[in-house]
Amino acid sequence: MGRIKKKFTEGSSRTYTTRNRALRKLQVSLSDFRRLCILKGIYPVEPRSQKKANRGSSKPTTFYYAKDIQLLLSEPLIDKFREHKVFLRKLQRALGKDDLTRAKGLEARRPEYTLDHLVIERYPTFVDALHDLDDALCMVFLFATMPAVDQVNNEAVEDCKRLSTEFMHYVIHSHSLRKVFLSIKGIYYQAEIQGQSITWIVPYQFSQNVPLDVDFKVMSTFLRFYRTLLGFVNYRLYTMSNLTYPPKVDQLMDDSAAGLGSLRIESRRVEDLIKGVQSTDSDDTNAPEVAMSKQMKQRMDTLGSKIKKIVAATAEDTISSVPAYEAVGSSGEADIDDDARQTNSLLFAKQVFFLSREVPRYSLEFVIRAFGGRLGWDQTSGGGSPYAENDNSITVQISDRPVQGHQFLNRIYVQPQWVYDSINARRLLEVDDYLIGQPPPAHLSPFVEYAEGDYVPEAASKLAAAAGFEGEVTNLKPEDRDQAEDEEEDEEDVADIDGASADEDALDSDDEEEEEDEDAIAEKQHQKQLLAERAGVSFSEYQQKQGAKPKAGKAAAGKKRSKAEVEEEERQKIAISMLSKKKRKVVNRTQADADKKAKDVNTFKTRKAQAAAKSKKKN
Amino acid sequence: MAVQNKGKKRGASSREAPAVVEKEPLFPVSKGIDIPSDPEEASDEEEEVEEGDFDEMLKEMARDQGIDSDDNNEGDEVEDDEVEADDESDIHSSDIEGASSEDGDDESGEDDDESEEAEEVEEDESSEHDVEGAEELDEVNMDKLTIRDFVGDIQGWKEYRKTLPQIDAGYASDSSTEEPANTIGNVPIEWYEDYPHIGYDIDGKRIMRPATGDELDRFLSNMDDPDVFRTARDEVNQQDVKLSAEEVDIIRRIQGGSIPDADYNPYEATVEWFSSKTMQTPLSGAPLAKRGFIPSKWEHKRVMKIVRAIRQGHITRSSAPNKDAKPRFYDVWEKAAQGEEDAAQQKRLARRARMPAPRLALPTHDESYHPPAEYLPTDAERQKWLDEDADHRKKNYLPQDFGALRSVPGYARFVQERFQRCLDLYLAPRMLKRTTQLNAEELMPKLPDPRDLRPFPAAEALAYIGHTGRVRSISIDPTGLWLLSGSDDGTVRLWEIVSGRCARIWNLKETVHMVAWCPSSDVCVFAAAAGSRTLVVIPPELCDEQKRLLSEDLVRAGFNSAAQPEDGDEDDDSLPVSWDMPTTAEQASGIHVSVAMHKTVKAVAWHRRGDYLATLTSEEGGCSVLIHQLSKHKSQRPFRKLKGAVQSIMFHPTKPWFLVATQRYVRIYNLMQQALVKTLQPGVKWISSIDVHPQGDNVI
Repeated sequence: MGRIKKKFTEGSSRTYTTRNRALRKLQVSLSDFRRLCILKGIYPVEPRSQKKANRGSSKPTTFYYAKDIQLLLSEPLIDKFREHKVFLRKLQRALGKDDLTRAKGLEARRPEYTLDHLVIERYPTFVDALHDLDDALCMVFLFATMPAVDQVNNEAVEDCKRLSTEFMHYVIHSHSLRKVFLSIKGIYYQAEIQGQSITWIVPYQFSQNVPLDVDFKVMSTFLRFYRTLLGFVNYRLYTMSNLTYPPKVDQLMDDSAAGLGSLRIESRRVEDLIKGVQSTDSDDTNAPEVAMSKQMKQRMDTLGSKIKKIVAATAEDTISSVPAYEAVGSSGEADIDDDARQTNSLLFAKQVFFLSREVPRYSLEFVIRAFGGRLGWDQTSGGGSPYAENDNSITVQISDRPVQGHQFLNRIYVQPQWVYDSINARRLLEVDDYLIGQPPPAHLSPFVEYAEGDYVPEAASKLAAAAGFEGEVTNLKPEDRDQAEDEEEDEEDVADIDGASADEDALDSDDEEEEEDEDAIAEKQHQKQLLAERAGVSFSEYQQKQGAKPKAGKAAAGKKRSKAEVEEEERQKIAISMLSKKKRKVVNRTQADADKKAKDVNTFKTRKAQAAAKSKKKN
Repeated sequence: MAVQNKGKKRGASSREAPAVVEKEPLFPVSKGIDIPSDPEEASDEEEEVEEGDFDEMLKEMARDQGIDSDDNNEGDEVEDDEVEADDESDIHSSDIEGASSEDGDDESGEDDDESEEAEEVEEDESSEHDVEGAEELDEVNMDKLTIRDFVGDIQGWKEYRKTLPQIDAGYASDSSTEEPANTIGNVPIEWYEDYPHIGYDIDGKRIMRPATGDELDRFLSNMDDPDVFRTARDEVNQQDVKLSAEEVDIIRRIQGGSIPDADYNPYEATVEWFSSKTMQTPLSGAPLAKRGFIPSKWEHKRVMKIVRAIRQGHITRSSAPNKDAKPRFYDVWEKAAQGEEDAAQQKRLARRARMPAPRLALPTHDESYHPPAEYLPTDAERQKWLDEDADHRKKNYLPQDFGALRSVPGYARFVQERFQRCLDLYLAPRMLKRTTQLNAEELMPKLPDPRDLRPFPAAEALAYIGHTGRVRSISIDPTGLWLLSGSDDGTVRLWEIVSGRCARIWNLKETVHMVAWCPSSDVCVFAAAAGSRTLVVIPPELCDEQKRLLSEDLVRAGFNSAAQPEDGDEDDDSLPVSWDMPTTAEQASGIHVSVAMHKTVKAVAWHRRGDYLATLTSEEGGCSVLIHQLSKHKSQRPFRKLKGAVQSIMFHPTKPWFLVATQRYVRIYNLMQQALVKTLQPGVKWISSIDVHPQGDNVI
């Protein structure tokens, strides 16, 4: 007899560990553990059997992967936290003794820690980081609008402002914005960067109320990591598109609340060039040929200034001049796809906008510039506007007031929703619906994808129809079409297998067949049947197909159809009765889902009808 | 001067007071008030006293006491003299002062005269100084004469004394002693409002109320008087007191929070009694402490501690910039991009990707600031949403239509929602759930189309009409020509299958639960279960002679064997079975054997050879299933007890097996070995009937 095995030495009780056990193992306080979990991205897990995982106890507990906790043991942050604890103790002591000089000295040497290593650890590749950027962006954009209160660190707010502006600049520069949605909660943006679609929400710019029921310690711990993450992501995005990071802050613009304009985005290549020149310059001075080096130095000096001029020019180009970009895009024929994309992402390239003071500039400026547009804004909503209101080059003025007093004749006045809807529709929409003083059409979420049987709001189907691809968004069942296509394909397959042209003829033209002998026809029919059987087409389907062709012209009578439906229903019933219990459950569930969906669609339809009736009455 | 006639004044003032009321205010009164209020003067006088010879002071004190005692003794007698003396002294002083005394008169008469007032005060002072100076001279001159010089000549002394300068007792500073003091104490002055007097002096005499003008006069006088600001009302004495410049200064100082005495210097140079300088004669003779000349050990220790800390780099200059500070952000993914990852790292990463947090759901149409009208909730829905607990709501927002972007407010719960997401990220347990996206249509079995299965009887070809009750059972004979049907109406009908003609009717009068042809093709026999009887019937019309004979042989054989009693069959008695000869009428109709049982016979099953017949009754327990041997008229009970309610029984067509179907299971017994062969579990809830394929392999 072998040795008796000890309990709980393997299996579920080893894979998982409870939170209390983890605390005991790590020798940290609960708050430190939480902070570690947040920063390291460690999460509780739900074991398949709680009882097994908790050594026979079925008490409700939080479980973690034991390996996660094991990894935490070697985490340098734990030491940092301990250092911080010691520091706090010392500081407390110094303050308690009124030893202010000592306290000041301690404060100056406050132990700091960075989270750089966590970024690479949690996101081993850049794409991983981009994939998980949603939450980080939401948080950073939220804190960028936070007021200065006790719970929120002012430095963090400033940092968030900067990071968010940098990210927006990258999106503008790379024209990677795809969808925008004005919701009641805030403005959703979706950008596509390196194949990853990143969605984030920005609150409307009002002063955020700071709620009491929110633990800002937790929030700030998350924010700490997100700031680090976004910083690194920004750095890589900037360097990958040859921009300098960090972009310089234009203090003058910043002070005048220029928003996006407060950062100066500069191309990096030329900067590097200058650096390279300077390094060679220093080498030269060390060289024996002093005269030569002097000449070189002179040249280099002048070169530097020249290059700086170029820098300024190119920087301007990258920021404002869109036509140049277009020219580049359309140069080669191979870039047709690219070009097509560009035209979409440079939707507003030919437009010059002017924003009235009541429209949200913080959003519109970003959105318009991301799609290649140029814009100016009212003095009251911030400085640094490149266009004045009476500029002749302005083509569109965005205004959100019930009545527009003075109107320039050479521009159109639209409501801000036009910009967002145009972006989502990927083309410039008709402005008629968006003119000032009338309620705009419903604003729909661009994130909704319609499946078969879904309710499609009128506005969406209208848009689709206007775009000219009525096939994709309709109330028709798209799968029916698919099926039909499939069948056609099947037929073709059959023909291919056989390879006989006669059969193909037979399939195509029934008229010719009639002339032939009946025997021959019967034989051929039989042959075809056999072929169909070989291809896996059931006899009935085959017959349907055969029958459908000549009958295609005739419209099926409603009564007949209903009979067919009844038959179909019966078949369905028989089929369901044949299923196993498990499968039947699944089928029933899907059926129930479909029913519910249909019901929802119905309610939507009735409600719409009611609303329409109401509005008619009003009119 | 004020003090000099102190003793006299008491009397004088008290006596002169009525006169003051009646006539114009007199000079001495005003003076009496005016003078003591000047502190400087008082202090001067004090100094004078101090500076004077101490012995002389003592002597004078003694003198004064003597006078006092005299005064006390003499009482009223002296008073007249004193008044005279007072008058005299007044005159004398006025003589000395000359013009100034007139000024004083003027001043006391009209207090209002502003411009003269300041000068007057000064002049007063100067005049007083003058007087004092003169008196001093006198004193010096007459210093040599003392009381001893007048021994025995009291009168002479008295006369001489009158010429002596007034002794300043040093009370001048104390105004309270100076006043014609009203002695009413803390009694409110309002109590005297209705009386002509305002109180009593120290002698208990009334102090009459000084004359006061009406409000208008006072106002006018105030308007004219430049000294209004320095005039205070002495409520107790009902007089206006004019404050001197010094007094005003004191008040100002008190108001300013500084020391009232203008001469006091709070910052006097300190005298360093204990200094580093060695004195010629030191204040203390104690020897110098050791710590005075030995460097402190503890200080040294502390210094060394700091020195060590500096050496070890614990203390650095905070202002010094950190040279090797790397930029805050750099390319962390550089290595990863170049594929330089160590194995451990990769391993860790592989583990990490196990359960990514689920992304937040993307917003739908109803979250729009201006959704289509059909997405807006009805009033009932809105109310429901509001009433629901926040945790149970399907959506954490209520769709709303703001119409225009300008009217969209900030979302109040934005921070809470982000916080909730944070909590979900680090507190919510994660679990991988594999859900296969099953398409219902894929699950459906591929059933052949009913049309593919044709031909099958889709239309009714024949109807066998005749039964009036429910048809319980039908059976087709082995030749396939005839159909038997048993019905609730108590009849068994024989039909010709092809034509649908009813060939024969047996009226059995009881519900016919089951009819079954004997499967043997040699005979033409069927069994019918009617009520509690099982009848074995040979339909005479159907069979030819040979078959009929064989059938009758089979059926009749039993009666022969039954005639011989069997001993060994002990069960026979207990079995609820009786083999009977049917009645003749019945016999005529072809019924040859009747097996009667206690309960209703539910089912009948033939063995394939036709000799054995199994019946199923509605009885509970083992007696429900019985096997009868037709040739011997013998019944057997194969099972002592049976589990569950038996629904159906069956003989296996090829093997000596017997199938019993209870509600849930089908049990197969081997009758030869009397053992259970198999239990089938079809998994259905209710088995109502079974059938076995003729070759014996499959059971339905």
